[in-house]
Amino acid sequence: MAELSGSTGALAAMTPIPARVQLVAVAWLRWRLFVNTFFRRRSKGKLRIGGLVFAIVLRIFLWPVLAVMVLGPVAFSGFLAWELMSEGHLRELTPVLAGLMIFWQFVSINGMNIATATKTFDPSTLTRFPIPFPRYLALRTLIGLMTPSTIVGCLASLAVAVGIGIARRDLLLPALMAMAAFALMNVFFTRMLGAWFDRWMANRRFRELFAVLMATSFVWIQLAIPTRSSMHEHAGHAHQAMTRPDLTRPDLTHPVMMPWYMRAAHNWAATLGWLPPGLTAHAILSGWHLQAVLPRLAGLLLYAALFLAIFAVRLHKQFLGELLVDSPSVASKAPARRAERIVKAPAAGAAATSRARVSASSAESSAEHCLIPPVIAACMRKEFMVLKSNTQALIGLFMPLIFVFILERGPAARHVEYFLPTALGYVLLGPVAAFYNVFGADGSGVQFYFMAPIKISNVIVAKNMTQLTLVAVEVAAAWGLVLLLAQDPIPLSVEVATGLWLIFFVATNLAFGTLRSVQAPRRYVPGQTRQLKQTTPTNRTSSLLVLAVLLGGLVVQGPITYAGHYFHLPWLGAAVFAVLAAGAVGLYLLLLRSAEGLTLKYRDRLTEELCKTG
Amino acid sequence: MTPAIDTTALTRRFGDFTAVDEVNLTVARGQFFGFLGPNGAGKSTTIKMLTGLLAPTSGSIRIMGEDLKEKSAEIKRQIGVVPEGMALFTRLTANEYLRFVGRMYGLDKTTTLERTRELLEFMHLADEPKKLIADFSHGMQKKLALAAAVIHGPKVLFLDEPFEGVDAVAAGTLKTMLQRMIARGATVFLTSHVLEIVERLCTHVAIIHKGKLVAQGSLEELRAGAGRLSAATQAASALNSEPGKQSLEQIFLEIVGASGETPPEQELSWLS
Repeated sequence: MAELSGSTGALAAMTPIPARVQLVAVAWLRWRLFVNTFFRRRSKGKLRIGGLVFAIVLRIFLWPVLAVMVLGPVAFSGFLAWELMSEGHLRELTPVLAGLMIFWQFVSINGMNIATATKTFDPSTLTRFPIPFPRYLALRTLIGLMTPSTIVGCLASLAVAVGIGIARRDLLLPALMAMAAFALMNVFFTRMLGAWFDRWMANRRFRELFAVLMATSFVWIQLAIPTRSSMHEHAGHAHQAMTRPDLTRPDLTHPVMMPWYMRAAHNWAATLGWLPPGLTAHAILSGWHLQAVLPRLAGLLLYAALFLAIFAVRLHKQFLGELLVDSPSVASKAPARRAERIVKAPAAGAAATSRARVSASSAESSAEHCLIPPVIAACMRKEFMVLKSNTQALIGLFMPLIFVFILERGPAARHVEYFLPTALGYVLLGPVAAFYNVFGADGSGVQFYFMAPIKISNVIVAKNMTQLTLVAVEVAAAWGLVLLLAQDPIPLSVEVATGLWLIFFVATNLAFGTLRSVQAPRRYVPGQTRQLKQTTPTNRTSSLLVLAVLLGGLVVQGPITYAGHYFHLPWLGAAVFAVLAAGAVGLYLLLLRSAEGLTLKYRDRLTEELCKTG
Repeated sequence: MTPAIDTTALTRRFGDFTAVDEVNLTVARGQFFGFLGPNGAGKSTTIKMLTGLLAPTSGSIRIMGEDLKEKSAEIKRQIGVVPEGMALFTRLTANEYLRFVGRMYGLDKTTTLERTRELLEFMHLADEPKKLIADFSHGMQKKLALAAAVIHGPKVLFLDEPFEGVDAVAAGTLKTMLQRMIARGATVFLTSHVLEIVERLCTHVAIIHKGKLVAQGSLEELRAGAGRLSAATQAASALNSEPGKQSLEQIFLEIVGASGETPPEQELSWLS
């Protein structure tokens, strides 16, 4: 070990650590973390061949999806820019760029979720090393560069420039320059937004508010799409009625015929001109008039600098040791208050003990009269208490019902035999997915089930009964809504068939869900956005299985209902689903009988995964 | 000589809750300093502030005579930390982790590799070079965290509960290493609930209770009742008939105002 000097001047005499050394060290760390994902835990360095093959196979399946997700917006941006330039709709370039900017942030927020789901490295932990702030800022900026939002956004910006260049060759170079500045501005804007978003999300109230906002906007979008479709239809009819034979499509430049977003952009044109999309569009359209282009490019770069500065302010607070968690005051005070109560009432101890005995015996006697065994009742009570404290989950319970209203505006509502099953299938997707990780929210508390003198199958039954109660409430509400909103009375055969399909669907998912809950648990902290999810082959298999069973259960409904309709056998669906329901219930009961042994078999995996702390 | 650690009115609030309240702490160079307190007293919050992981609400911190806020990066090169959660990158091997930490502290490649090898052997972690840290036992992780905290030869070492969850063999290794560091002039600042260990290792002790520093001084001073900072703890010392023969545990319980015995009316009489 190095000899330690004790002089005060030692700090001043130290040579600074070169930036390159620390940047290379962090790059190397990232690389090793990536490489080590191919090694299974407890493998002592042996390559995870199965995992590698699985990852490759998964990517082969995912690549087309990812390609559509990435190339779709890129191609669309380029095409839109080309079309606007070709058709001479120059003023519409600003809203297109504004849309691109919004889309960039949308991908960023979703990308953040993907990143936190699989992350093994929190860059904020770098603050414990001797790094000066400018270097920390550079590291944080660089670490976040290879994100989906940056890749998609930069490619889309390039596509816009190329699209403009193809339509108007003289604008290619100005477009490339302006879009480069636009992309740079967006990179810093995204980072700034992300850093502040993290800060706000550390607050529980904001998280809840955000959950409500996201859910509301999601529903709004779903409601808006059918509205837009009907508006288009209306515009189409108006177009047919027009007497101008030389026009092949409606005049989109006319305010009345404009889509709503373009009309809004028209109204906000003056304001948008001073914002980054407006500056970029004007810089492009100014062409080679340097007097017009340069101030706008400078404006864009100023925006970029401003966003970087705001990002730096946030990071500097983190660097100085800001704590991004909810205030521990509530947690710290609660035990103190309890202790205070105990101290204040020592004399009442004996009386309290006797009261406790009385209440315990009354609880026992009430449990004897209750239909539900005491262990199951206690577990159910605990599950409902956990649910009650999780606002996000409560909101999530009511949101699916809004889908019934959305469906009512769509084509499913016109065919009465499909409306009810489609609505219930849609409503059930969310709650049923929760069947696949029943122990997730228990965390390290799962060990209690193995220590307590209880049957773990009873715990599973309790958890399933709680979930079934919630499903029953949602189904009843959705069913009632469908009956209210349906344009024609729903035939009894359809209702019976749907009820039996429901039993089949729920029981199948319960059976597979219970199996996967035990075999592939995943720690879940209610109310927290950053979950401790590390992608493992078991988790991936679980995700695919969930998807397969959920979609399979939904898909089976369509052809059978259609066959009954086609062959004029209204009770065919009911008969088939009765058989399927009986099979599914049997499967679930069979699984429940072996749940005890199964849980003990996977006890190590359960406790290891759920007791994770980081 | 300026103290190794010196705080003035160090305070940290979380909303309306004050976790650390105007703490004035002085640790001389070369001291083996124990920082004690009951659960939730503010020990970890203090250590986080002293190492720059948490910003104080008010007050100042000087490490080796320099202001922590002003010269954060320079001071961090002179200190080593084993934080509460150990802060390890669990998907690395021990060798990879130490190499990364060495480079982050500005050691050249050769020195980093040399010290990595030495530390892994000293800590008995060299046997399974390809094992991921995630697969390490708690004790092994603690030893690795300590190795990472000293790889750059720090002048001040901060340890938050270094012996928690560590077996007797590993604890022996850690103690040997810490005592060697002290012999070479380093300062060690540790928090621990194991009062026997603190009593055996530390020359000086401070006690924090409900965020306030209630005692500070050498063990002899505390036994004599001299290091007690509040009137209540001084009164408790005066009542004691044989203050010079007290163990650290007795001093601690006396200062924090708990006897360790439960009044009969609060006893859990139904326990067999």
